[in-house]
Amino acid sequence: MAFLIESSKYLMKNIFCSFLNPIKRNSAAEVVHTGVFSVRSVCYSATMDQIKAVLIDLSGTLHIEDTAIPGAQEALKRLQSSGLKTKFVTNTTKEPMRTLYDRLMKLGFNVKRSEIFTSLTAARGLVEQKQVRPLLLLEETAKEDFEGIGTDNPNAVVVGLSPTSFNYERMNEAFRLLLDGAPLIAIHKARYYKKADGLLYLGPGPFVSGLEYATDKKAEVVGKPEKTFFLEAIRDLGIDVENTVMIGDDARDDVGGAMKAGMKGILVKTGKYRAGDEKKITPEATALCDDFPAAVDYILSSLS
Amino acid sequence: MSTGVTPGSWCSKCGDIEGILSDITGVLYNSGKDGGTAIPGSIEAVAKLKAAGIPLRFCTNETQCTTIQIANKLNRLGFSIKPDEIVAPAPAVCGFLKQRNLRPCLLVHPDVLPEFAEIDTTNPNCLVVGDAGEEFNYGRMNKAFQFLVSLDEPLLISLGCGRYYKEDDTLRMDVGSFVAAFEFAADIKAEIVGKPSPAFFQQSLHTMDIRTSEKAIMIGDDIVSDVGGAQKCGLLGIMVRTGKYRPSDEPHSYVTPDGYVNNLAQFVDMFLEHRI
Repeated sequence: MAFLIESSKYLMKNIFCSFLNPIKRNSAAEVVHTGVFSVRSVCYSATMDQIKAVLIDLSGTLHIEDTAIPGAQEALKRLQSSGLKTKFVTNTTKEPMRTLYDRLMKLGFNVKRSEIFTSLTAARGLVEQKQVRPLLLLEETAKEDFEGIGTDNPNAVVVGLSPTSFNYERMNEAFRLLLDGAPLIAIHKARYYKKADGLLYLGPGPFVSGLEYATDKKAEVVGKPEKTFFLEAIRDLGIDVENTVMIGDDARDDVGGAMKAGMKGILVKTGKYRAGDEKKITPEATALCDDFPAAVDYILSSLS
Repeated sequence: MSTGVTPGSWCSKCGDIEGILSDITGVLYNSGKDGGTAIPGSIEAVAKLKAAGIPLRFCTNETQCTTIQIANKLNRLGFSIKPDEIVAPAPAVCGFLKQRNLRPCLLVHPDVLPEFAEIDTTNPNCLVVGDAGEEFNYGRMNKAFQFLVSLDEPLLISLGCGRYYKEDDTLRMDVGSFVAAFEFAADIKAEIVGKPSPAFFQQSLHTMDIRTSEKAIMIGDDIVSDVGGAQKCGLLGIMVRTGKYRPSDEPHSYVTPDGYVNNLAQFVDMFLEHRI
């Protein structure tokens, strides 16, 4: 996504940064910058003042496990009282909406259920849209979000992170449905994740890949960083993508994905963030902020 | 009989052929409960080739048991096949491991473990994956993955790379599908020992002292692994319409066999007829 600078008062800074980042001039009035030249909540984007909605990642951004990021509750209140719309978006394949909502309430975040949009919600939406009866390779807890969906005589396969389903028999059951023409829906395609013991654990991605290889099919991935995930998340808000900003700790899945969908993206240095993550995506993040409260300050200061 | 065979394409070359490689499962027999069943005509076809003095090897990606067990199973069905006529990935990978001084962490079927009896598995430095069947579950795969990514240079060796096979009239995911999972998880490519690796076909030919791969035929029911793999190595590749063959394999998007036959019996009859 292009980084637009319209105001001449920022040109000096821009020119300074041109020593570090290439600048392309695409018209007399506009300078397109291909990189981020700001750090710590200072970013001069001409369109950040037109933000109307904020998407917020949960784990690693608002809280880490059962501890809130310091000051995050108050920061969320400031954001909400500014009149900006908020949505809480997360890739989850195990935790249903209820669990996420309860945790946020317990941590003192004032959110509405209707403001939470997850990869499971997105998968349910796709299942309803396709009018299929899915075989759910999901843990029991996650099946809660599919209540009311018919699963008898399945003609589709939904794959999340499900250690209890990832066995030879269940995988083959899914494989045979796919070979008979069932669509393959992946909650998300993470390669692995890290547990508190410091070890890496296989994510759903490898098992989705295995089914893809076996059947020569491509899965429809519904979670972050897919473009459709971000578009679906704001569909009921009636706000355009360019007036939306995503805040998250995952450079690729949160920020990169949102920006590819046409949104702004703010990377926070909490959760899974590691130094240099911001350099792993192109275009770079709209801004890099220390944490969620700093990201909120940045957004609110851009509005005025 | 409507065969769809164009005899000229491969039959004219039969006179130059020095040896034949045949796949086992889906060509000699269909696997299933109680040892499976011989494909009609295949027992006699093998006997005819042997009686005619045609060098013959059985080239399989079977990794759920040892070559001795494979031979025993086939002989119980009525075949007359010796273990050293069978070329399989497990014995092949043992040579490969010794040659490269590799010590494997094994994710394989328990029944094939005797093939690895002489292999050092202490302090492993590579992951070897075979068709492990029920062993392919989250716990086992996760342990193998954690081991793989603990290596400085993760090395993944796959015994074949089949997508699926047929057993008891049911299609089942093959080793390649689970290796694809490891490849995706660790963001690496596996080294394949078995079909369709050219080295594996070469090794099979060497056991018959055949030095020119153009002078050999491979027949199998896997269009990509058997037929395509053999052709890449220079052999003639014949597709047989038994086993896991599905009509949708014909024509295939990128593999054009040198011929199609309805079964091994038809192939052998045509081969012997055109050899004279």
